[in-house]
Amino acid sequence: MEFVAQQIMNALSFGAEYALLALGLAIVFSIMGLVNFAHGEIIAVGGYTMVAMAALSLNNPLIVVGAAILAAAIGAVTLERVAFRPVRYADPTTGLLTAFGVSIVLQNLFLLLVSPRPIAVTSLYFLEWPIPFVGLRISSLQLFETITTIIVIVVMMLFLKRTVLGLAMRAAALDFEMVRLTGIKANRVFAAAFLISGLLAGIACVFIMARRGSVDPHLGFDPVLMAFVACVVGGFGSLPGAVIGGFLLGAIEVAMLVLLPQSLGGMTEAFVFGSIALLLIWRPDGILTPPREKGDKQ
Amino acid sequence: MTLSRSQKRGLVGASLLALVLILIGTIATYFGSKYQLRIVYGSYVSLMVVLALQVFMGNARITNLSHSAFMGIGAYAAAICVTPIAMKKISLPSAPWGLNAFALDPVTSGVIAIAITAIIALLIGLILVRLSGIGATIVSLAVLVIVHSLFLYRTDIFKGNQAFFGIPQVFTLTSAIIIAVIMVYVVRGFKESRWGIALRASADDEISAAAMGVNVHRLRLLAWVLSCVLLAVAGIAYSYYLGTISARPFYFNHVFLTLAMLILGGMRTVTGAVLGTFIISFGLEWVRWLETGPTILGQKFPEVLGLSGVVLGSVIVLIMALRPGGIMGDREIEDFILKNTE
Amino acid sequence: MLVVQNLNVFHGPIEAVHGISFTVKEGSCVSLLGPNGAGKTSTISAITGVAKSTGRIMFADEDISTLPVEIRIRKGIAVSPEGRRVFANLSVKENLRLGGAYNTANVDRLIAEWFETFPILAERRDQMAGTLSGGEQQMLAIARALMSEPRILLLDEPSLGLAPKIVTQIFEMIKRLKEKRMTILLVEQNATLALRLSDHAYLLNNGLIVADGTAETFGSNDALMAELTGLA
Repeated sequence: MEFVAQQIMNALSFGAEYALLALGLAIVFSIMGLVNFAHGEIIAVGGYTMVAMAALSLNNPLIVVGAAILAAAIGAVTLERVAFRPVRYADPTTGLLTAFGVSIVLQNLFLLLVSPRPIAVTSLYFLEWPIPFVGLRISSLQLFETITTIIVIVVMMLFLKRTVLGLAMRAAALDFEMVRLTGIKANRVFAAAFLISGLLAGIACVFIMARRGSVDPHLGFDPVLMAFVACVVGGFGSLPGAVIGGFLLGAIEVAMLVLLPQSLGGMTEAFVFGSIALLLIWRPDGILTPPREKGDKQ
Repeated sequence: MTLSRSQKRGLVGASLLALVLILIGTIATYFGSKYQLRIVYGSYVSLMVVLALQVFMGNARITNLSHSAFMGIGAYAAAICVTPIAMKKISLPSAPWGLNAFALDPVTSGVIAIAITAIIALLIGLILVRLSGIGATIVSLAVLVIVHSLFLYRTDIFKGNQAFFGIPQVFTLTSAIIIAVIMVYVVRGFKESRWGIALRASADDEISAAAMGVNVHRLRLLAWVLSCVLLAVAGIAYSYYLGTISARPFYFNHVFLTLAMLILGGMRTVTGAVLGTFIISFGLEWVRWLETGPTILGQKFPEVLGLSGVVLGSVIVLIMALRPGGIMGDREIEDFILKNTE
Repeated sequence: MLVVQNLNVFHGPIEAVHGISFTVKEGSCVSLLGPNGAGKTSTISAITGVAKSTGRIMFADEDISTLPVEIRIRKGIAVSPEGRRVFANLSVKENLRLGGAYNTANVDRLIAEWFETFPILAERRDQMAGTLSGGEQQMLAIARALMSEPRILLLDEPSLGLAPKIVTQIFEMIKRLKEKRMTILLVEQNATLALRLSDHAYLLNNGLIVADGTAETFGSNDALMAELTGLA
């Protein structure tokens, strides 16, 4: 019983992390068709901000967490302005390759300016303690992560439903030009998309850092690889799909960890990716396909 | 056999490129130091990879991220076949299926490696060619990750991140030049063949091409398998020269490096593939020298680890922003000397 | 209100409109008539800034030809585009809210007014716009454009692909707008209907203005009308 509960918690917290990152990828993709591979470096920006905070002896957890999230958001918006604006209306391949380039530049800048070695960050250890729960012990960190993700998803739904900018972002996924023809500034929509994706990456960064306790230039690479897969599973560009894909991937990963024999431990990733490839053969466009033009004329 | 106008032009173009390759290789052979020879050899292997990549990406216009994995499959398959039994008893003491109990000559090993890669490519290709755009790219990414995991996991066969050593070093720079020259003709020949033309047409407009009776999936599969076979050749050339391989060079860093070469030169043309490879190979060597903190004119410069990565990434970003078609765009080398008559 | 001088419109390397000039006076309804491919929609796209163009576009005595799309719209231009282009994945009400994106103070009042004018839209207020019929989508597109309370309305092919009964309804509505002295630039293939509403009309063919005049002069020129209705 305790084992099952623990594995469910594991699946939820893995899934929450992937969902947060996948949402950030999906919101940018839905608006500008960009597969933002540099998303992982945004997470690293958050991580290095925590290092900087520690160096400045700012150890108040609220300040550290706030600064990391803020830095990630600013980083994402800056990338949009500097690197992604020239390829804004380009085809997805051009965008994807640009994002690869940006990712390589940032990773190497961390290496060059900070250090190739991991740097320990201890200010988030307080997030982790066992919580007794009807006779079971649950990790507080996993609980926080799951709850935070649910709150974030609800807030985002409200934003997309209730605010003009949110409506514009949903509409832009179908017909960006028409959104501009209602007088909404394109720059604002793009900036908002990157701001949101940066905030989500920043929140995910806090939990990743709390779990790992250190940052290195490749901090975000593996999580974003998984988030990328989650997006594809859910249907690239679909926001609900990204959330579903994230949690599904978390469940698959935990299932693989539990079900695969010890001797195959190193193959978890291969099995996860393999099952995703199979899923794509069954449904090439993912579980939820993004909305397409339903008007009379293109 | 009669050649069409564009095929004749292709023959001229490929011959010009071959001439350039032979020239660079000959200069390196006669004037290069041992270290420089190694670098030039490395750039010819990169060239094979980039040419192979061009076959699929340039004609089918689908971004492939798994090419380094296929190069690795070719390299490991050949290495396992060709390495002497005595050597394998030391390096792969617990290999299954009697893999450490036989050894073949380099040519047979190479043929087997190519066949194995082609079969794996065919199986994966059957799935991959049915997907479009981003879907195909993500499956190629999954292939890269899965193959790499296998290399790392089956240490009894592949030795993982440790060196697989003892491969006979049967290749010289001359062998690499000959292979690269043949590859240029093959790749250009495919581009100008009726399959290549139909595939490029279908990439521009899949629906019209399908309406004209072009079987897009079959053509993509053809390009995919050809591309993977050439990648296997590149992998074999890599292992036959170095004598030592490990899993690390067949992963993301290599994927990005070769991708950058192709898009810098321009993925739509063979000339672009050659140009991009040499610019980045030799350019990066120069940046790596700067990276180590050299002394220039009596001035000691600091060590800047990561500079080569920053330069490589910036090149990709700038090319995409300023010239998404790469340096060459749609032009091949012969367009500069032959008249453009319709 | 709108003065277009020597306008050339480009689609990539192709020039679709060659140096046309026309004027829309405040409170008037002007129509651009002509066959498919004459350059009517290109002209509209040039006015909103979506298509690249050279020449002068004066709106309310200000040269807007170098301004970005959003700024031109905010100066008081609204467009109901060809093919309607309602946001299919948004509800009817959300479409209207986006139409009034920079007119937030009056959004609720205007939505209520439109729901009164088009009860069918009120009935479907929470339905996705993509599920509406063509006529309903056209009503929504016009209502969305008017949510910003613009100074000029650009109407591109409002009758396209609609049943005659629905077309009559749409033109009834345009007539009411005209009675309220809304400035309208109407693009239509259906010349007979358009001329009934217009104060002035221009006939485009192959990117050039080949005839212009008041609705009466068009109507009394039998040869021209025969050609126009033949085109329509």
